[in-house]
Amino acid sequence: MSIVLESTSATIRRNFWNGVWRVMKRKPSRMVGVVIILGFAFMGVFGPMFFPAQLPDNPDAITQPPSWEHWFGTDPQGRDVLALVITGSRYVLLSAAVTALITVVLGTAIGLYSGFKRGRWDTVLMRITDMKLTIPGLPLLLVLATVWKFGNPIQMGLVLGLLGWGGVARAVRAQTLSLRERGFIEAARGLGLSTTHIIGKELLPSMAPYIAMNMLIAVTGAVYAQVGLFFLGVLPYESDNWGVMLNLAVFQAGAMITPTALGYLLAPLLAILLLTLGIVLVVDAMDEIFNPRLREE
Amino acid sequence: MKRLAAVVALLGLATATACSSTDNKPAGGGSASGGLFTTIDVNRPGIDASAPANPYNPKGNAFPGYTTMKIGWVVNHLTDPNKALPGMAASWEIEPDNSAITLKLQPNAKWSDGKPVTAEDVKLSIALAYTQGSTAFAVTPGAAGAAAEVTVVDDKTIKITQDPANPSPKFARGVLDTTVLPSHVWSSAVPATIWDTIKTARGDGPEAEKAREEITALGQKVIAFAPPKDVAGGPFVLERVNPGEALLVKNKHFFNAANVAPSQVKFLNYTGNEQIWNYLTQGKLDHSGFVAAPTDVMNRIKAAPGSEVIKGYSPVAVSMAFNQSKKPYDNVHVRRGLAYLIDREQVTKVASPEGGTPATTTSGIHQKAAAAWIPDTLPKLEPYKADLAKAEEEFKTAGLTKKDGKWTLADGTPWKVSMHAPAGFSDWLSAQENIKSQLIKAGIDAEVVTTADYPVYLEELAAGKYDVGFWLIALGPAPYDIFQRLYGASNGWANVGGKIKHSPAGKSGNWMGSPEEIEVDGAKINPGELTAKLNSVGPDEAKPIMSQLAMAANQDLPVIQLWDYINNQFVNNSRFTGWPHDDEVLRLGTGVLPSGVWIQQGLVKAKQ
Repeated sequence: MSIVLESTSATIRRNFWNGVWRVMKRKPSRMVGVVIILGFAFMGVFGPMFFPAQLPDNPDAITQPPSWEHWFGTDPQGRDVLALVITGSRYVLLSAAVTALITVVLGTAIGLYSGFKRGRWDTVLMRITDMKLTIPGLPLLLVLATVWKFGNPIQMGLVLGLLGWGGVARAVRAQTLSLRERGFIEAARGLGLSTTHIIGKELLPSMAPYIAMNMLIAVTGAVYAQVGLFFLGVLPYESDNWGVMLNLAVFQAGAMITPTALGYLLAPLLAILLLTLGIVLVVDAMDEIFNPRLREE
Repeated sequence: MKRLAAVVALLGLATATACSSTDNKPAGGGSASGGLFTTIDVNRPGIDASAPANPYNPKGNAFPGYTTMKIGWVVNHLTDPNKALPGMAASWEIEPDNSAITLKLQPNAKWSDGKPVTAEDVKLSIALAYTQGSTAFAVTPGAAGAAAEVTVVDDKTIKITQDPANPSPKFARGVLDTTVLPSHVWSSAVPATIWDTIKTARGDGPEAEKAREEITALGQKVIAFAPPKDVAGGPFVLERVNPGEALLVKNKHFFNAANVAPSQVKFLNYTGNEQIWNYLTQGKLDHSGFVAAPTDVMNRIKAAPGSEVIKGYSPVAVSMAFNQSKKPYDNVHVRRGLAYLIDREQVTKVASPEGGTPATTTSGIHQKAAAAWIPDTLPKLEPYKADLAKAEEEFKTAGLTKKDGKWTLADGTPWKVSMHAPAGFSDWLSAQENIKSQLIKAGIDAEVVTTADYPVYLEELAAGKYDVGFWLIALGPAPYDIFQRLYGASNGWANVGGKIKHSPAGKSGNWMGSPEEIEVDGAKINPGELTAKLNSVGPDEAKPIMSQLAMAANQDLPVIQLWDYINNQFVNNSRFTGWPHDDEVLRLGTGVLPSGVWIQQGLVKAKQ
């Protein structure tokens, strides 16, 4: 009997991945999205290893326009802009990943618990969520930046994550409230299955696509928030941070006045744009994978 | 049809653009012959339309040189702090011993409402200056160069005598650099008994203390004072102000109105340097004061039609200052090693290519002023030219060791040079980034750390929180002002009532922590006491003291002088000409807008 069950679950898994492959193949742009995200993950993990801790500078070639040698030109210290973007990606991506993880774990846990338990706990948790949602994120971050230095990407991610779970919690609660009344949950309850089983094996898988998409979107939100803070100059100076690069490109190198500094401005902007594009394309694929009604075959 | 709609829309857009054109034509279609002069107030980003026309208000819509007048316009002389151009005073006589100055007001001076400028106006302006704690008009006990008595001799003559208790050779400068305001407008800002309060405050005891508190409170009242209408003494008067610009019109009652070329002046709003660069590259400004700009931007500014950059002397230098309470900066050999290691030419090339000249050495004085004050001493100073071998020798003498290409402290702990700068000071940050790179290449770990803003930076620096920070020095022209940046309160020597008191490192704002006595040429000197002496001696006596101090700074290196600033003034010859090129008038007193003074002196002419 167990052999039959295992073989059935293996078949389901195989069919799922076959489905994923079919969805990805149908629109090549989705493959591009996956490649972009994998590329950024590779850049964040291994990119800085290809460069020395102190990037080589050249006082005779400061703020140079793009060339074969320097694809995005050089910064006001004569360092390669592309190398700065790559070495700076680790902070940005790591803190974005931490933000996404915290947003999703906290939001899902609170939403699930609140929606499944209902009653007093639901009221308390949702009022806390409402309060959290009324706090404006950017002004709070500006105030926090005056007392906290955010030198570590995990600290940055932690703060952004703690500020971002409200929306996910509300949405997950709404989904839970709807799903808990469905027949299969009723059946699970009737079979006497444990709450842990119902939440972990019945409810969560139904919401997994929604949660995964939220996680990816939280990554972009975190990138915008931290790059914005660094751009405003309220966070500690780190020359290879994308936000600091944007700030220096405009306010030190004069990228809005002189085209020689345009590469310095465009490189971090393109990195952010590309990352967002990758995420949007993958979210599009995920939508179809997890929502059979959207399948075109 | 769609095409027609597009054409109509484009025509409409073109008309709207033409209507909203910001060409330099007189606003309001006035019959002004001299035309519109466009500039910015480089000292005050962000026009606040609701701010009063009050020169003491930090956001006030008062423009020194244009609307507000000073008694005289102190110039940028290399050695003489008391040299000035006539302002509201046509002439003055300084007693040979600096004990008094007698001012003769402009005979035809009138306010913009037609009332004559009198000695009583100057007297009230001096009372207002007391509430703000100006140099010559201070009630702080024992303040150097403070006035003792103000006497109205006649309607156009006023005499101010210096307190003999703690005289200063730059007393006249303090007097001349005072803003003159109309008493019929400003008398309500202070009580009629103000002079009695000032007299009491200059004494001793609890009553004096109470009077000083009263004057401090009055200071806040004066800052907040809003005249109902701008009554100007300068060549222009404020017509209207909005968040985008302030418009001034010619004051027909100004004593030299016949020689004032522009009929209107427009101050454009800006929030950052990049906005000023934009105005300059478009040729919109007739004049802008010094603004830091990278080489490429500077080239584009120079390429704008009619654009000219006038370079002059700026009595300021930037240095890398050490907190000698922190190891290893307590060791002079470490400081000397760093002086040999850092290539100042490279630092200046990267950080301030247009606004600075690499320091020839560390003397505590701007190289131009040093050539005027201590020409014989300059060749004797160690230039600290970049030399890695000498740097390593100094580090070894200090007991530092190099392991696996990295320098460590004498006790084997890693050495990291942590440099601090305020965020937004792009030239300082750029310099520190370059120094960091130079240090890392030489095997010294380094980092650049920013602080939110300049006031917080100064506060944390004074609290001894930083190992290394950037520090402005050589603030001329007065010899005391030059050296007090090195051997003043920040290094432990406080000048209270003309008496010098030294505080140990880490106490009472002493964050530099230099030794109290330094050996120069085999003799021990107390640099703080010598610096204080500069506050009371004439130029001839000052020179040997300045030589000693320059040598002390050069040997002991409380700071490493990195670059001496250049005063870049941006002008445009398309609409106006006659710009001065003389160093002395390219930079005037603190907060003064030099182009306003050039215009009122009749130097600037409308292009024919």
